[in-house]
Amino acid sequence: MFNYLIRRLLLMLPTLIGVTAVVFFVMALSPGGIGASLLSTEGALRPEERKAMEAYYKARYGLDRPLPVQYAHWLNHVSPIGLKTAGEGFPSSWKVGFKYPDLGESYSSHRPVSQMIGEAVPITILLELLSLPLIYIIAIWTGIRSARSRGKVLDVGMGFVLLAMFSMPEIWIGMLFIGFLTNHMSYVHWFPSNGLHDVQSDSMLFLPSWSGGFQRGWLLDMAWHLCLPVICLSYGSFAFLSRLQRGALLEALNQDFVRTARAKGLSERVVIYRHAFRNSLMPLITVAARILPALISGAIVIETIFGVPGMGKLAIDSVFSRDRELLMGITLIASLLQLIGYLIGDVAYAVADPRVSYVD
Amino acid sequence: MENRFGFKDLVLAALVVLLIVVVCLGMYMIDRQQKILQTMQQDARVRTGLLRDMRNSLHEGIAFRDPAGSDSPTTQKTYPHGDPFGNLKAAERQPGFARGDWIIDNFGTKLAKVNYPIAGDLYAYWVESRILEGLIYRDPETLEYRPQLARDWQVSEDGMTYTFQLRKGVRFSDGSPFTADDVLFSYQLIMNPKINAPRLRAYLQKVKSVEKKGDDEVVFTMTTPYYESLDLCGTLSIVSKQFYSKFSDEEINTNPGLLMGTGPYRLPDPKSWRPGQRMEMVRNDLYWGEQPTFDRCIFLEVEDETAEETMFGNGEMDVYATPPAQYQRLLKDPNTSKHANHYEVESPMNGYAFVAWNEKRQGKGTLFTDARVRRAMTMLTDRNRICHDVFLDYAKPISGPFASSSPQADPNIKPLPYDVAAAKKLLGEAGFKDRDGSGVLKDASGKPFSFRLTYATGNATMERVILFMKDSYARAGVTMELDPVDWPNLQKKIDERDFDAITLAWGGALESDLYQEFDSSQIADQGDDFMSYANPKLDAAVETARKTVDVPKRMALWHEAHRILAEDQPYTFLFSRMSLRFMDKRIQNVKPSKVGLNYVYLYSMPNPWYVPLAMQKYKRP
Amino acid sequence: MSIEAARINDGAAGEGTGGSPGAPAPGPSGLGASGASARPGALLVSEALPASRSLFRQAYHDTLTRPSARIGLTWLFLLAFVAVFAPFLANSRPLLMKMAGRWSSPLLRGLTPADVLLLIATFTAIIVFALRLSIPRSIGFIAGVLTLAALPVLMLVKPPVNTVYSRYREQTALGKIQWSLLPPVPYSPTDRLRDQPDARLQPPGREHWVGTDTNGADVFSGLLHASRVALSIGFIATSISVVIGILVGGIMGYFVGMTDLLGMRFIEIFEAIPQLFLLISITAFMEHRDIYVMMAVIGATSWTGYARFLRAEFLTIRKLDYVQAAIAAGLPRRVILFRHMLANGLTPILVSTTFGVAGAILYESTLSFLGLGLVDEASWGSMLQQARASGSGFIWWIAFFPGLAIFLTVFSYNLIGESLRDALDPRLRKRD
Repeated sequence: MFNYLIRRLLLMLPTLIGVTAVVFFVMALSPGGIGASLLSTEGALRPEERKAMEAYYKARYGLDRPLPVQYAHWLNHVSPIGLKTAGEGFPSSWKVGFKYPDLGESYSSHRPVSQMIGEAVPITILLELLSLPLIYIIAIWTGIRSARSRGKVLDVGMGFVLLAMFSMPEIWIGMLFIGFLTNHMSYVHWFPSNGLHDVQSDSMLFLPSWSGGFQRGWLLDMAWHLCLPVICLSYGSFAFLSRLQRGALLEALNQDFVRTARAKGLSERVVIYRHAFRNSLMPLITVAARILPALISGAIVIETIFGVPGMGKLAIDSVFSRDRELLMGITLIASLLQLIGYLIGDVAYAVADPRVSYVD
Repeated sequence: MENRFGFKDLVLAALVVLLIVVVCLGMYMIDRQQKILQTMQQDARVRTGLLRDMRNSLHEGIAFRDPAGSDSPTTQKTYPHGDPFGNLKAAERQPGFARGDWIIDNFGTKLAKVNYPIAGDLYAYWVESRILEGLIYRDPETLEYRPQLARDWQVSEDGMTYTFQLRKGVRFSDGSPFTADDVLFSYQLIMNPKINAPRLRAYLQKVKSVEKKGDDEVVFTMTTPYYESLDLCGTLSIVSKQFYSKFSDEEINTNPGLLMGTGPYRLPDPKSWRPGQRMEMVRNDLYWGEQPTFDRCIFLEVEDETAEETMFGNGEMDVYATPPAQYQRLLKDPNTSKHANHYEVESPMNGYAFVAWNEKRQGKGTLFTDARVRRAMTMLTDRNRICHDVFLDYAKPISGPFASSSPQADPNIKPLPYDVAAAKKLLGEAGFKDRDGSGVLKDASGKPFSFRLTYATGNATMERVILFMKDSYARAGVTMELDPVDWPNLQKKIDERDFDAITLAWGGALESDLYQEFDSSQIADQGDDFMSYANPKLDAAVETARKTVDVPKRMALWHEAHRILAEDQPYTFLFSRMSLRFMDKRIQNVKPSKVGLNYVYLYSMPNPWYVPLAMQKYKRP
Repeated sequence: MSIEAARINDGAAGEGTGGSPGAPAPGPSGLGASGASARPGALLVSEALPASRSLFRQAYHDTLTRPSARIGLTWLFLLAFVAVFAPFLANSRPLLMKMAGRWSSPLLRGLTPADVLLLIATFTAIIVFALRLSIPRSIGFIAGVLTLAALPVLMLVKPPVNTVYSRYREQTALGKIQWSLLPPVPYSPTDRLRDQPDARLQPPGREHWVGTDTNGADVFSGLLHASRVALSIGFIATSISVVIGILVGGIMGYFVGMTDLLGMRFIEIFEAIPQLFLLISITAFMEHRDIYVMMAVIGATSWTGYARFLRAEFLTIRKLDYVQAAIAAGLPRRVILFRHMLANGLTPILVSTTFGVAGAILYESTLSFLGLGLVDEASWGSMLQQARASGSGFIWWIAFFPGLAIFLTVFSYNLIGESLRDALDPRLRKRD
């Protein structure tokens, strides 16, 4: 098992390099290049101003070097082992050694990329952590129901409805939510339409209070803003997990021990919930770690529609502003999270099910 | 089956996760409140410092100064160039005038940096204009220059030397005194090649040198006479040498929130603002002049239009700039008129939109090299209808690059009319006729008159205008294809002159210089004359005007340029838009002026708006 | 024992024979196949040993009897009909018109080469279906007819370059057109109703069944014409990814060893980037996005699921007795590959393909919604984008109906895919 882990971790390296290389060269080979987008944020420039700015950016970001060199340079900055200036890292006096990874500086906002990602990732993870319980609770409940009334109307109907929910495009549902549920002018204004916090959130207390009328408080305000994005993020996953739960429960109900339990005279409820259900949870648990990275994709659209400042929105902004450093940083982190998610999923699977082992 | 992992455990696990999440959020919240506490403590410290200073000076005794010859900042009876706070003082005399309350505005986009002189975008200027000041500023009512940090100034006969006498007793918001050294430093900061301000640097190239004569007089010498020289030298933002010298060049370049000046407002902490934090400016207690009216100026970063409208409707925002359709809709909304006033402002600052016809592509002539074709295209564009349909009459067609209210515009020149017959006649003279009754104009060899219009994606309103143009050209037999590109690619196409026609908009200025866009020297080298328009008569008019310091002579030359451009139509000048705004009713004394409203965000000037005490909403200072 | 373990494996991992993890749809289901190279894929092909043809026939019948599949197929046929006959269903040009005593058909004259080729293809397909040819033969026949027809059509069919749609209405009002027969929806998608000043943003009503958009064009007409984009991108992008996936997976599965190792790395690279993210990165940086480029890009990013499946299949099949026998008998590689391995290995891919088409349509809509879609034509996603960018309040008909169209199409494909999977899954055939 340990060998397997080491092997998987080492195998991540070429994958990450490949991923970042693909994104880097796609970006760099695009027409317009970096210079145009950097300059376009400054508005209309006179020619001599433009030239001066281009020269400045070239010198600062090394944009005039050949592309593979630029990529190698970035790779060197990002890796914890590599060429470094003497006096940094460990061992300090050597030119090569361990050092702090440096994700670079964003072109468009001149802030360190690590800082920007560090602000955005927790929000996306929060969104996903909140959607996971929702997905699981509904999926488990519907899965069990479907398995119990297998073949009947409830089963077929639920499968139908869940598949419909799976097919609903997030862009559509998000737009409809915003249009109908957050629209104080024409429809109802039950939810806020945008962002993560209210305008006055800085001056709010943390917990809700009832002095001088109901005040939401910072925590509830955040929860209120998160309602719609979380719902939009999770509804698509019900179908898959529900089906999984249903299949697993049916599997478990086919086992001998269930037949024994029934023969012993236990009630159906006990048979299902105490015996079969617990054994059917295994695949769901192991799949959990793999759903998280998959939700990152979903988060891109949801965060853009609802204006939530998470990783997805940051990614979109960086793509549209051709911010190379930021985009590379996000690609790296997103891929890393995805790979780690897969790894945890596989390891959890092996740990949970003693019949499966990765020792060749 | 020893694995007794059941439903209970799942619920427990979920609760644990939830608890952890809540605790993390709680810690985050406490952290933020700590930060607020810290700023408050720092504020308190500064104030105690001030009180101590005051107490000390009281102990030393106050010398009464003679008001007549006084050099204390505001009690000067002699105003050689007008009272710097004339508008504000007039507002003070109005009944109900009070200081206090906050004004909440919206950038509509995320602000990346405000550090002077690095930050170059419009919204950063809105912030900088309240925190930094120049030596002079331009009064929005009379368009005359008023003293700001300078008391008085002289212009030499040849327009090459500008001397400013500086005010005494002015302090920066951190307490350091203002002297001529700061003016010199402000100039040197921009000219330092290591500082990432190439645009300002290029702008200031015309200044040969800045010298000080004693502690309160500076002299600017120009390289050539230029009509905007007084503006150039006088509106240079002044920063503190003492403060900025503490930072290295790199820090000045990279710290996005480094901003400190003499202005009526200041940042709570002049170096620690970060993007993502709300932009809040507080009153500068050390301000040398009349205290500003609002306690705080807040700028939100709400990008979503629906959210903006909702927040304004809820009263969470005080100033709301709207597009035409929304403006009209809100005008009819009873809820809005209950709590907001509306303003429609024409201003030379709004600039204009245009279509540029490329006259030379890859060394060869194009469809538009012939001026008759360009005039015909203008006559085929029904600008009145565009302004009516798309902008609901909140835009006006223009006849040239100047706003109709600008003194640069020749009032006798009217926009070319929408006249399909006359246009077809002109096109016929140029060789394009409907030769086969198909309704499509073709040249002698049978090739149809067709071109591609390049434009930037992302602007739905301009797309409507462009689609309208496409359909009306189609009626006349001219085929226009669309070529939408995003900004970086658009810039590339402009640089390479790789387009048939392109539609863009220029921002405006109080007095616009036509040199960049129309002078033939700007064709080469990726200059802004990207349609390769060259007319020696225009060159002569523009170049002479730039050198002419005498105003009436210069205006005559601009009129001449206007006539030439109206004749040649290198652009089809489309329209100039009005800015439409709603402002909360409690804000008083908002009036129109020659440049828009009586307070313009872009320039550093006193703000005469106020909220009477009874209507004030935000009581915290 | 191995089958038992495989069943438990499959149940545990949630991979049926069709393999839901393989469904390359965006959102939470985009799980891809498992990351563990050590775990085998579906092992149940051994139960499907009967010749693939009868399996296909069996699956065909099983699927078609399910009501959900019927619903899906109905909608898809409707959509295909609309896509092919869109110019005849929604057009501002009259089908038949009498002006100054002369009869003419502006609609027919205004057809583009694409319209004509599509009609030819459809009629050929109907003929082929009536003749009951086998699948490869029918595809060959249609392709042949299209190739023959391509050149003459491109040369002869020349729609007018400049069209003023409102002219027909104006001239009818003036009486110059004595009689005209208009299609059921008398508006083209690019007809911005310049002759009717208040045409913009009309809510659904008698004149415009689904209302008009911000430029004045009829929304229903746009919906009908955009069905072409959806269907064509769905099919062709998925075909591209299936071909790439089969190539890569097959090569890896056949030549194991170093090829397999390198290939797995290659697949993992593509799986490590969230697919939507990669799509956005690529399309944002392209200069001109036309429909073919979009097809290629979506196809080039969705192939990993198919590659994994085929590789897993091949790894298993190559060990099976009949393949070993074929190799021992000295059959040429080509025959082994195609007739034995590929024919049996394709089964799980079939189900994935259906989900894949749905996924491709969703991706295209999402890209258009974000502003990174087609430039020349309208698609359902770009119509949704119009609703998003509206400054004058929420225009519900532009938000609801294009999204509904996307939803119904994707749902249909998913229904068919589900039914196909249930039909092909031998476990569920057992009724206890």
